[in-house]
Amino acid sequence: MMIRVEGINKIFNEGTPQAFEALKSIDLEVAKGETMILSGVSGSGKSTLLSLIAALDKPSSGKIVVEGELISKLPDLHASAYRAKSIGFIFQHFNLLESLSVEENVIAPLINSGFDIVSIKQMAAKSMQSAAISHKASQQVKELSGGEKQRCAIARALVHEPELIICDEPTANLDRENSLKFIEILQSLHQRGKTIIVATHDPLFETLPFVSKVVHMEDGSIV
Amino acid sequence: MNEILLSNEVIVYLLSETVLYLLLFIAFISTLGLLRKWNFDAFTTEQFALENRSYLVMTIIFFVMLLKVVLLPYFVYTIDNLSNLIPGAMCGAGVVKANEYGNPLLSLKIIILFLSGLWLSMNSIDLKEKSYPYLKLKSWFFILIFLLLSSEFILDILYFTHIETTNPVSCCSVIFGQTGGGNGLPFGLDILKLLILFYLLFALVVLTTLSDLAVMSIIASLLFGVIAYYAVVYFFGTYIYELPTHLCPFCMLQDHYYYVGYLLWGLLMLGVFLTIDAAVMQSFFKQPSKSLKRISLLLLSLFVLLCSAYVTVYYLKNGVFL
Repeated sequence: MMIRVEGINKIFNEGTPQAFEALKSIDLEVAKGETMILSGVSGSGKSTLLSLIAALDKPSSGKIVVEGELISKLPDLHASAYRAKSIGFIFQHFNLLESLSVEENVIAPLINSGFDIVSIKQMAAKSMQSAAISHKASQQVKELSGGEKQRCAIARALVHEPELIICDEPTANLDRENSLKFIEILQSLHQRGKTIIVATHDPLFETLPFVSKVVHMEDGSIV
Repeated sequence: MNEILLSNEVIVYLLSETVLYLLLFIAFISTLGLLRKWNFDAFTTEQFALENRSYLVMTIIFFVMLLKVVLLPYFVYTIDNLSNLIPGAMCGAGVVKANEYGNPLLSLKIIILFLSGLWLSMNSIDLKEKSYPYLKLKSWFFILIFLLLSSEFILDILYFTHIETTNPVSCCSVIFGQTGGGNGLPFGLDILKLLILFYLLFALVVLTTLSDLAVMSIIASLLFGVIAYYAVVYFFGTYIYELPTHLCPFCMLQDHYYYVGYLLWGLLMLGVFLTIDAAVMQSFFKQPSKSLKRISLLLLSLFVLLCSAYVTVYYLKNGVFL
């Protein structure tokens, strides 16, 4: 099992009158190479769950194990190392550095990775090719369209060959045509054996043939 | 309010110490809570909150301890500057002796510095692991250090509030001078024996450190630290001052001697500390570090070379020893 989530709870502002229970007793399993869709309306807890699996935040209680490693207990330094090594993120708002070129954005996660510059350039080229954005390598991100920005974000997420790819509302800012292109790339990643979790309320994803699991969330619980 | 408490250096020093002590007090209270409830195997809300809090608390302790390391030379600088206000004092030696709190305070500061250094090393080892294996140990160790820090804080206040600017104090030549027929050296040593011991102990520190004899290395380093102190005050210092009767660990901190005392004492203390630290990390935490050993030996070698250079240069210039 790639990911095992057991009895996860997440309460924001715990111990205060503003306490908010974002996740309630979540149990979940994702097998290696599986593509899972987390669906649900805004505020249902999808992004919170993703951030816990990605060790961006810690649960209030419960256990998250990824590839045998207890992620929910990782101290901050190790959590950063885990994210840098094992996870590729694709966000709704792309989170790219607008004034840098596509290639520079793609290379960013490899800074301080220990690879030499020649290897880094090769890895970036391969990743940009996978995301069909090689032709824009030297162009500044602020000059790209929404779809191109998303492909740049995909290239950046893939550059260090992560086993787990986490996408948070990846098509929310894309038109239908670009959403379909994104899904094509996602399918190719699935074929390469990557484990993929997509949090989305875009119905396009739920009927995809390579999606093996659709988990619906509501008010912080799986329904 | 006396002139001492109104001097800029003392105001800055006492304010810094107070702020740092308050931060450590908060960390101390949190550490007690951590020790009472910590259970890494639990997946409860309370344990997750403790893990988050432990990171914050340990970060506070880390930064405060680093600042305390910097505050020791500043304390020395402060008391050296106060010699201008106290009649009879020519340097920090007289100021330290201005009341009964000075010497215990300085000794306590050096002990705390060494213990804080060990805590920092222990913390860095703990942070490298994923399961906080030394959290309880370093928390208990911090509590011990905190108790010493509390004594230090009280002594700081007592010391600076009890310095009289109207009572003359002894100058360094009286404090360290040869009175009553004795030479001021411990264990019945004379200068020749002191120097032989100085170089032999240095060689022993190098050998035991390179041979990974951790316990021997700790003992040799501590002995070397003590003997080196006497060797500098009673022999090498006279070559820094170029005056055979000038015996003082403080005057060399002044601008007439290009502040070389800071370098000399800094090299000695850091070198001795890192040698002990490397040995402790190797024997108790099974974390041998070649680079730590190399740095410690480099610092101690520089210290010995610098001491020896003063004697050599004086001899080459004048054709005689003092």
